[in-house]
Amino acid sequence: MMICGSCGMRMDGAAVLACQTRMYDVAQAGHVPVISAMGNLPIVKDLVVDMNPFWEKFKSVDPYLQPGYAEPPDGKEYRIGQQRMNVIHKEALCINCGCCVSECNAMEADPLFTGPQALAKAMRFVGDPRDGNKLARLEKLNGEHGIWECTRCYFCNERCPKGVDPRDAIAKLGAESMHEGIERDMGAKHAKWFVVSAKTTGWLRETELVPKTQGIVSAIKQTRFAIDLARKGKVPPPFPPHVAKDVKESRRLHDLTTERGPQGYMGIVQGERALARLAHGHTGEETLEEIYARPGAFHRPFIADEVPAGADAGMGSLTQADTTPGKEPTKKPEGGA
Amino acid sequence: MRKVAYYKGCLASLSAKELDSATQALAPKVGLELIELESVTCCGAGDIHEAEPDYYLHLNARILAYAAAEDVDVLLTVCNVCTLNLRQANFMLTGDADLRDRVNENLVSVGVPAYVKNVDVRHLLWEIAEGEGYERLKQAAHRGLKGIKIAPFYGCQILRPSKINGFEDPDRPWSLERIIEACGGEAIDYPAKIKCCGFPIIQAREETALGELIQPIEQAYEAGADAIVTPCPLCHLSLDAWQSKLKKATGRDFKMPILHLSQLVGVAAGLEESELKFKRHVVSVAPVVEKLQI
Repeated sequence: MMICGSCGMRMDGAAVLACQTRMYDVAQAGHVPVISAMGNLPIVKDLVVDMNPFWEKFKSVDPYLQPGYAEPPDGKEYRIGQQRMNVIHKEALCINCGCCVSECNAMEADPLFTGPQALAKAMRFVGDPRDGNKLARLEKLNGEHGIWECTRCYFCNERCPKGVDPRDAIAKLGAESMHEGIERDMGAKHAKWFVVSAKTTGWLRETELVPKTQGIVSAIKQTRFAIDLARKGKVPPPFPPHVAKDVKESRRLHDLTTERGPQGYMGIVQGERALARLAHGHTGEETLEEIYARPGAFHRPFIADEVPAGADAGMGSLTQADTTPGKEPTKKPEGGA
Repeated sequence: MRKVAYYKGCLASLSAKELDSATQALAPKVGLELIELESVTCCGAGDIHEAEPDYYLHLNARILAYAAAEDVDVLLTVCNVCTLNLRQANFMLTGDADLRDRVNENLVSVGVPAYVKNVDVRHLLWEIAEGEGYERLKQAAHRGLKGIKIAPFYGCQILRPSKINGFEDPDRPWSLERIIEACGGEAIDYPAKIKCCGFPIIQAREETALGELIQPIEQAYEAGADAIVTPCPLCHLSLDAWQSKLKKATGRDFKMPILHLSQLVGVAAGLEESELKFKRHVVSVAPVVEKLQI
């Protein structure tokens, strides 16, 4: 059932868990079933890679709970509802196999990039309602080789055998950082400029993107490059701005979502339930039951909010580290769950 | 002719106007009547998804709603990033009635029609790689690309995540090759054709981005390609405009012409320079044009 994560390797060019990937199927699909070592890690011999760089990055995100609450009074337990745990249910599935790291395009270009596995693990603690160190964690993750070095190639989501979707975890960390006002990285400034563009003119204000991201000094240093592009019409003049029709609707939607919508990572979490209904190769026609009944299909993943009947779902608190003591110690539901 | 809503996105409206003009000129030849959406904005390009995800969802819902209001089944895109952002938002909305209700309520409150009837977001590549679009393409590509070696470059967000895109095997895509061959060109194979061009971080982490960017260009160059074709204007911008920075960083000047998908098919279908606008490219397309004796 894919729980140990130690058999990661490349089969037919893609990082997989050998325990769940049948060479027979590869051969049946008409490919020569070549196996090779995972990428982005030093090869020791044959299929064996040195996992030390992987574990160093894993350790660098402090992958353990740093509790941010006092002991509850009179020996009771804190109860955290399923809603709160849904925030990190995907990230918690990680088995440290390294399939995502193997194919990470940013890490190929910069081996120091923290990488999808460690960042997904970081989100697992940033989003944990019991953790009290969120801001310090986010500060650290906004470093040079942190979240903003992800190149959004989506290889990690594609390869992960457990449905962790590390790229989405990185986006959650970005959203939470910016919600907390951590916006000093060029990546964050870049992202912010898209928001400003969308609510002011509707379309991306391309020409202003470079100074807004890199600062005016760096932009001036690139004048020659800019002139070369301008000659080909690749630097649209910022004035008069290219304004989308009815852009006030876009501005008002921004006001609405800022005032009333879910903030930070919650904006991404709200879509996970629907996206979890998509299986690989899903075109929207079949139900989940039909997809997972296909021969050779993946195991059905846990889907947020699908609480088994009779289970004590509870209702968690909605703010970080605001865990409320339950009236009674948590009990195992009748009939198990 | 099949009516589709046409969302051109930011780049085709601005720095990659050549993509818009080539697409508009090509569309009737492959059986598509484009209804250009007017009241739409940027899809957020993954950046708004990361900065303010709830705003991202509303912006994309608004685009989907205006497409649906045109009474069409398909929202046509010409950009990988728009494709993924819109498809992802679409699945979020169509797979969760409560979420859709909340978003629709907000849309209506600012004067946007509610997103009720579903539309399917599809890239131009998918429309012309199979079915009727492909049959028409074969007929339209009368001038051909004989003797030209083309390296297909897919880019990331039209292939992955496959559970959202799902058109073809993300590790063994075939659509661009099929189109190149239908146009009479020769498709070059090389490993980096499914990898990242580095564009999303080309401003925030230029060195890392260049490390990614060099791979497809170098591999296509060494495989003897006359040009690279891509379905994504962001890939196009980095592959085309940042080659000068590659030269500065590595001392290698590849001079690799980069074509938009609509331009490649457009050349084969005999579109004029006024529609293809090759003059807007940073790396000259002249060697390809000369080889074709246009």
